[in-house]
Amino acid sequence: MVQYNFKKITVVPNGKDFIDIILSRTQRQTPTVVHKGYAISRLRQFYMRKVKFTQQNFYDKLSTIIDEFPRLDDIHPFYGDLLHVLYNKDHYKLALGQVNTARNLISKIAKDYVKLLKYGDSLYRCKCLKVAALGRMCTVIKRIGPSLAYLEQIRQHMARLPSIDPNTRTILICGYPNVGKSSFINKITRADVDVQPYAFTTKSLFVGHTDYKYLRYQVIDTPGILDRPFEDRNIIEMCSITALAHLRAAVLFFLDISGSCGYSIAQQAALFHSIKSLFMNKPLIIVCNKTDLLPLEGISEEDRNLVMEMKAEAMKTVIGQGGEAANDEGVLLTMSALTEEGVIAVKNAACERLLDQRVEMKMKSKKLNDCLNRFHVAMPKPRDQKERPPCIPQAVLEARAKQAAEKEKKKTERDLENENGGAGVYSASLKKNYILANDEWKEDILPEILDGHNVCDYIDPDILQRLEELEREEGLRQAEEADEDFEMDGQELTPEEQKALAEIRRKKSLLIQQHRIKKSTAESRPTVPRKFDKDREFTSERMGRQLSSLGLDPTMAINRARSRSLSRRGRKRERSLDRGDTDGDAMDMDTDTLNKKLRTRSRSLSMSRSRSRSRPPTEASPGEGFKDSAQKSKAIKIAKKAVKIRNKNARRGEADRVIPTLKPKHLYSGKRSTGKTQRR
Amino acid sequence: MPQGDYIELHRKRYGYRPDHFERKRKKEAREVHKRSTIAQKALGIKGKMFAKKRYAEKAQMKKTLAMHEESSSRRKVDDDVHEGAVPAYLLDRDNTTRAKVLSNTIKQKRKEKAGKWEVPLPKVRPVAEDEMFKVLRTGKRKTKQWKRMVTKATFVGAGFTRKPPKYERFIRPTGLRFTKAHVTHPELKCTFNLEIIGVKKNPNGQMYTSLGVLTKGTIIEVNVSELGLVTPAGKVVWGKYAQVTNNPENDGCVNACLLV
Repeated sequence: MVQYNFKKITVVPNGKDFIDIILSRTQRQTPTVVHKGYAISRLRQFYMRKVKFTQQNFYDKLSTIIDEFPRLDDIHPFYGDLLHVLYNKDHYKLALGQVNTARNLISKIAKDYVKLLKYGDSLYRCKCLKVAALGRMCTVIKRIGPSLAYLEQIRQHMARLPSIDPNTRTILICGYPNVGKSSFINKITRADVDVQPYAFTTKSLFVGHTDYKYLRYQVIDTPGILDRPFEDRNIIEMCSITALAHLRAAVLFFLDISGSCGYSIAQQAALFHSIKSLFMNKPLIIVCNKTDLLPLEGISEEDRNLVMEMKAEAMKTVIGQGGEAANDEGVLLTMSALTEEGVIAVKNAACERLLDQRVEMKMKSKKLNDCLNRFHVAMPKPRDQKERPPCIPQAVLEARAKQAAEKEKKKTERDLENENGGAGVYSASLKKNYILANDEWKEDILPEILDGHNVCDYIDPDILQRLEELEREEGLRQAEEADEDFEMDGQELTPEEQKALAEIRRKKSLLIQQHRIKKSTAESRPTVPRKFDKDREFTSERMGRQLSSLGLDPTMAINRARSRSLSRRGRKRERSLDRGDTDGDAMDMDTDTLNKKLRTRSRSLSMSRSRSRSRPPTEASPGEGFKDSAQKSKAIKIAKKAVKIRNKNARRGEADRVIPTLKPKHLYSGKRSTGKTQRR
Repeated sequence: MPQGDYIELHRKRYGYRPDHFERKRKKEAREVHKRSTIAQKALGIKGKMFAKKRYAEKAQMKKTLAMHEESSSRRKVDDDVHEGAVPAYLLDRDNTTRAKVLSNTIKQKRKEKAGKWEVPLPKVRPVAEDEMFKVLRTGKRKTKQWKRMVTKATFVGAGFTRKPPKYERFIRPTGLRFTKAHVTHPELKCTFNLEIIGVKKNPNGQMYTSLGVLTKGTIIEVNVSELGLVTPAGKVVWGKYAQVTNNPENDGCVNACLLV
């Protein structure tokens, strides 16, 4: 996006301020404390940093100046020429060139001194070099002081230039000085340009905005132009010429036919002819102003001829745009800015012609073809003379007619009011629009309070419906109850069956109870394998009882269990019977005794009598902090209860072994020095 | 949107605000106090800068006042004799400038032979050897100490090629080599950036002269062909002597004064 308002350019400080800014920044933003005793490399680095920092700041500041000021060749030619007229292109370029040179010089100085600093061998020498470097940079800036001052002035002036968009819809007002250009722009826009009864009141371009047909138009007021050779024109006039030359706008050439501006019509016509080359390809309108002093009809014959000549010239622009030669409206207009007569007509004509021209241009442009060939409006050719109107069914037509009639017929309240004596006399009835079952009821009088009760409280419009619903629900419920009567009862059963049922129920409840107990016991401690059954609950007798209660012979099972029982653990094999007595009969006879003997012996082997009995866990010993064993057992109970759930869930507790960090960072990262991976 | 000189336009239309001039007067009156506060409050570099600026302003003010007073006060016309002024009885004599120039050139030649010049800096601070040179330790174990590096600015001729490192006793670093000098012509009072042709004499010793060391007081030969000086005989002078007036290694440049 090209920048057309030059309001954002940063301030250009003058030479002295520039130096102050940069040096104080160096002072603030680089280290300031240095001592003789530091290593020489540190000293060098300290001063090199200062030099480089200063250079960088200078570079940045100068670069912003160079980048932000517009390049006259890159911006729109209108602005390029305007800036040239106002500030002189050569001078402008020279100033920017000097800034650029200064930037390069400073970079070079910094480079040289950094190189020299590398050979600095003492604090004093490094410091001297730094001072010299900064001093030379500042000298360079001091030299371009005048250029900086010039650029600052230009910046301030540029910020005040009107923001003209060269590509938008524009109306340009030009003419001799004092012919009423500024008055006109004040009439049609809010520009608020100074109007004075002397020439060259307007010294620069002014912009206002106006609306026509919902579009915004930019109106530019230019300073007056005198009829003299191009070279003699001053800066003020050149502004107008620049605008005329570069803006594609509708041009309003203002003509003071009364001559009160101090220039005769002949002079104004001469100006018109001398600058008419600038009106090429633009919609041109000749506006005869100040008709309140002298109407167009009142001017002399010669002047009329001159005006007509100008009009003919202006017509060429119409024809040039493909308009008809006969269509001469909107080329020569009269108005009076004082009485506001014809002002709007002039504005409208200008806008209209400008719009036409722009549309024309767009139609001609190549870009439009890309759009146009995408849409197509089909217009079928008539194949014969027969008329083929659209076919509308009779019913639809009738309905439409009826609807129209109804619309007409419907009487509004206002009509009624007018018929019945007008406002104040007629009182509209609200009752007539009631929606009731019977129209006769509309006028009925309904009491609000009856017997001291509000009638509204007792009105329920759907009471019958609700009643019906209730009844239906009741019926349903009754039917359900009838169904439920068929439930099983103990009455119909035979005594045997009753017994069996009782047995089943008892068993069921027992099972539930047992399950509950089991659940709670299992809850209270970890489920353990039977081998750790310390309390001797799961005995073979119990198994036998259970099996026999189921009606099975338990002997085999018991024997099998006993043969594998705990007491025989720890012995690999029975001793060979051959050692004792070799005859095979003894086997049957002696089995029991042998087993019994062996068992007793094994028990005596396994149970040592030498060990003393250990103290029961609940016995309180001094030093543990318990008052008595009851308290201790209670404490143990509480402690067990606390870990119960955790143990059950096999969750981690505080007593478990803990490795806080499985992979300690210091063992797994960085370089490894001597030592093992595990510990170092 | 205001455009153009909108403030001027507004003043033209509606005039100044009623208290404008009073405000202006008061602001001006307060200015002194404001400045004094700043002067008292500003610290460090800001304070220094402010004081310096203010000092310059005051000096300028005093000068202006003195100038105004001078125009009104009466005093004697100063009788100082202008340079080159001659009493009336000598006015008709010819100047013997040419003869003098001739004798000058003869004198110069003599001086050159003797190796002595009248120079702007007749005495210079002697530079010790360990200030002039830095010992470089060489060898694989860095035990040898025969190599020296010059720590001052040097001039090295255009065609110089370094000896092989084994034989190179003195190193003159490229970063400290200078080929140009800022030479001031004492009579023209202007400075030129001239090329150095050679080092004529270093006051610290013959060795430094041959090494081309530039210290304060060194006599160098500079190329003055740009200046367009002409000998009395009409030949163009292109080499002239000049004395170094600064410490080039500290300032990063060689400043010299032309010997005429």
